Amino acid sequence: MIDSVCSLCVSSLVISVEGLPRPTIIIPEQHILIEGDDEDNPYVAKVIRLFGDGDGEQMKAVVQWFVRVSEVPLSKLKLLGREPHPQEIFHYQGRICDDEVNVESILRPVQVTVACVHPKVLGHKMCTNITTDVKSIKFKNYFSFAVCLIRNLLDNQQDLNSDGEDEDEFVPSQKELNGCSEEDEDDGEEEAGLDSEEEILVKKGRGTTAVFRTPRSKQKTHSLTRTPRKNPNKKIMPGTPRTPHQATPSIPCRSLPTRQPANILEEARARLHVSSVPESLPCREQEFQDIYSFVESKIIDGTGGCMYISGVPGTGKTATVHEVMRCLQHAADVDEIPTFHFIEINGMKMTDPHQAYVQILQNLTGQKATPDHAAALLDKRFNNPAPRKQTTVLLVDELDLLWTRKQNVMYNLFDWPTQRHARLVVLTIANTMDLPERIMINRVASRLGLTRMSFQPYSFKQLQQIIMSRLNKVKAFEEDALQLVSRKVAALSGDARRCLDICRRATEICEHSTTNPSATGLVGMSHVMEALNEMFSSAYITAIKCASMQEQLFLRAVIAEFRRLGLEEATFQQVFVQHQALCRLEGLQPISVSEGLAVCQRLGACRLLLLEPSRLGVLQRVRLNVSQDDVLYALKAD
Amino acid sequence: MPQLHFRFRFRCSRGTGCVGSCVRIHEKAASWCIVGVVVTLCACRHLLELLRRSAIQGESNSVLIVGPRGAGKTMLLQCVLRDLLQEKEAQKNLLQVHLNGLLQTDDRIALKEITRQLNLENVVGDKVFGSFAENLAFLLEALKKGDRSSSRPVLFVLDEFDLFAHHKNQTLLYNLFDVSQSAQTPVAVVGVTCRLDVLELLEKRVKSRFSHRQIHLLSSFGFSEYLQTVRTQLSLPDDFTDRGFAQDWNSSIQTLCEDKSVEEALQRHFNSSKDFRSLHMLLMLCLSRVSVSKPSIKPADLLDASRLCLCDAKANMLHGLSILELCLIIAMKHLNDVYEGEPFNLQMVHNEFKKFLQRKSNSMYNFEQPVVMKAFEHLQQLELIRPVDGSSAKTQREFQLMRLMLDHSQIMEALQKYPQCPTDVKQWAMSAFG
Repeated sequence: MIDSVCSLCVSSLVISVEGLPRPTIIIPEQHILIEGDDEDNPYVAKVIRLFGDGDGEQMKAVVQWFVRVSEVPLSKLKLLGREPHPQEIFHYQGRICDDEVNVESILRPVQVTVACVHPKVLGHKMCTNITTDVKSIKFKNYFSFAVCLIRNLLDNQQDLNSDGEDEDEFVPSQKELNGCSEEDEDDGEEEAGLDSEEEILVKKGRGTTAVFRTPRSKQKTHSLTRTPRKNPNKKIMPGTPRTPHQATPSIPCRSLPTRQPANILEEARARLHVSSVPESLPCREQEFQDIYSFVESKIIDGTGGCMYISGVPGTGKTATVHEVMRCLQHAADVDEIPTFHFIEINGMKMTDPHQAYVQILQNLTGQKATPDHAAALLDKRFNNPAPRKQTTVLLVDELDLLWTRKQNVMYNLFDWPTQRHARLVVLTIANTMDLPERIMINRVASRLGLTRMSFQPYSFKQLQQIIMSRLNKVKAFEEDALQLVSRKVAALSGDARRCLDICRRATEICEHSTTNPSATGLVGMSHVMEALNEMFSSAYITAIKCASMQEQLFLRAVIAEFRRLGLEEATFQQVFVQHQALCRLEGLQPISVSEGLAVCQRLGACRLLLLEPSRLGVLQRVRLNVSQDDVLYALKAD
Repeated sequence: MPQLHFRFRFRCSRGTGCVGSCVRIHEKAASWCIVGVVVTLCACRHLLELLRRSAIQGESNSVLIVGPRGAGKTMLLQCVLRDLLQEKEAQKNLLQVHLNGLLQTDDRIALKEITRQLNLENVVGDKVFGSFAENLAFLLEALKKGDRSSSRPVLFVLDEFDLFAHHKNQTLLYNLFDVSQSAQTPVAVVGVTCRLDVLELLEKRVKSRFSHRQIHLLSSFGFSEYLQTVRTQLSLPDDFTDRGFAQDWNSSIQTLCEDKSVEEALQRHFNSSKDFRSLHMLLMLCLSRVSVSKPSIKPADLLDASRLCLCDAKANMLHGLSILELCLIIAMKHLNDVYEGEPFNLQMVHNEFKKFLQRKSNSMYNFEQPVVMKAFEHLQQLELIRPVDGSSAKTQREFQLMRLMLDHSQIMEALQKYPQCPTDVKQWAMSAFG
């Protein structure tokens, strides 16, 4: 495979390319494709130098990386100020990536062409725009010039040289521009080289009718010829019951616009909805800081790690992590930290723990695969050194749902971050603090590590602060009312969702009761009390009060029979004897057994009674689902 | 004929009654009776406001309607939806998905049904493509892409809500409630259930995401309102085609409801249950006796119908038994008396029966063992006796332990009515000891 092995420096290299009979020679200054995560889109780079590794066993190449459009983060792409061509590549100067690669990972050479933009397509205005805008863009050494096109040397059919007249967006500049290696680190040289190149471009652009002006900046815009569209593997096999690939998940758009909130109460209600995203998360500053610094340090160091976050529902775990990610993303956008990839999966949002692999893979690369295949691909990705890898931050919500008997999903999730090349940060969320000890086997718990954080339920002061910050000076609540809600919820669960829901319900009640002229229009104590009652009071007692006469009698008979037996359980037959006696006592006509069973079933359907399956008939056992005192209280009140 | 009219009325309005009436009042139709108006009007307004806000302002909500069977929960929802859809703004926007816990028995079926009803992109004709996992991902993606201001709100109605809580991991409920609590496509989740303890069924994460709005629909009316409902349910409307007939009919209903015996029968039904569906059953039975020659309901019809409704099913079955089978039942009754409800087997029953026969001089009931066995098996097939749980099938049939599924009162009642029951058998049944 390797041709000439001199002591250290190698002038050229012979590799065999799949599908070509002859071996291909690779020399410095040539553009190559390098094996990457995505098989359809390998990395592009230019060989700068080839050298042997001491004994000559290992050949290495020093390369200059290029990034494809698809690899450029969206935020950066916007800075370009124009629509990039799908085959366009950009110079890469990030420091994170190792610029030495093993020659084994080189797939094949590739032709990178500098082409000019067809004015018809980009439009005159667009072209000039590029020139003006580009200067102001702060690419900050990320990619310093736009363009070049990769053309696969293997695709020898030159069907791309169709003329400028047809609908091809770009006119290929047919000449291979080997010399157009635009490492633009130093501006001086660049300026000089530029002019000559512009000439070439203008000359070469067939069909460009001289309107085209090359931008006079260091960001040269060239465009690319298109790779010939010959990929028969894209055919979708007909007849397979798969989700159609072109299907886009969407809910139809509404035909009429939403109404805006009309008054203060409606405004308050919109703000208090759990879904409305607050500007900041009050009362979770410490936790925010901890998670932020954890993830940030891992991203900067390019290492990996795990963190376990626990807390009862509604304490802001997921919200805080999302907030951290928003901030980190922002920091990455302004280049304070290297870019990273954020992926979120939720144990409750998948049908089977192994679907986690599928979802992670789809989020990472967009590929679809079966769980087993996805696991293998991810394993390969995280375990093997790959050039140019950015950190991946993975949020696993509702971790306990990923439990399997062999725990291999959890094991893999926590094992990957420990790999040297993975650059994976895993944040896991679950409810119980001792989940690792309770459900995980030792090797999984050990890999999860001891970076734990627990979110305490909100105290009443915090809840109050949360509502206040949400309302943000919209005056809709009386001070006392707010305090009542927050104290009540803090005492029950400390669940912020509950708190917001009660407040929202209170505004509704207030709105309906504003017929009273003395009311201030603010939500007061009485409204909050009513909302609290609605949500927390159990309906058992009212249900017993509203039950029919025979149903009430039956409940009494149940209690009487329990007292007689000294047990909390009796068969229907036993209770029915008591029931008949009670009927006579009350002066009612005794009911038949079928009717008695029907009464019993109705009480069972409401779950006032707990019953055995009804096929047991008179032998089914009966238990009370309410306390005896409650029943007696409800029946006495009449 | 009025029959058709009522049949239509009873069939179309599942659980008409207090809610139906309340909604009628809502519509300012004065002819409808006033039953539990305060409670149901309040519930009606609450639900209507909630759904209106979802439809028009794109607010996500979740609510549970809880009440005993036949209290009019579904009726309430239907009436509110009908009112809501009269508003053009709501009608144009709202998408509806109706699920029933008895039909969608697991999340896989429920998801397919949701996808089909929403007519998402992976639906071709009536078929939903993709695996369970793909469907879930697809639906969640679809809901996630929407937002409050631009996508159409979706109303999810989950009938028999408690059954959805038994699905694995409560995935569907978690996701629906999660969408309703996050900035995605606006959804309104309405659960309908008769279980009062439904919140305890929800897993803690699901429960936290549920907004805890509950509308309790309890039938808190008294007998006078019940009677009033019967009257209005049976009366013909003023716009009935044959006006003369309608007047005669309505006056006959008036006299019917004032009849003492009718009132007593209705009182008995009311005491037994406030369920409107069982009332409709009774009224339907009366109406079916109306014919051209007899164009009104007589008190006797209602009493007959009432007797038919209240009669004991098991006691009726005893009438069809042979004398031998009846004797076996009586023997079992005596065994139950002696051993205080302990299970018995065929041999014991046969012995008891033989003891009875020995006391009698004539041997007209002297049957062979196989015949008795056959009779015993027949009783088991009728489920008048059932094998004790856990008794293995390996034991010989003669010694398999059984329990009697009848109450003594049922046996005695059946004996009274049994045609040409031999006196000695009757006496044997009534004697304290076999």
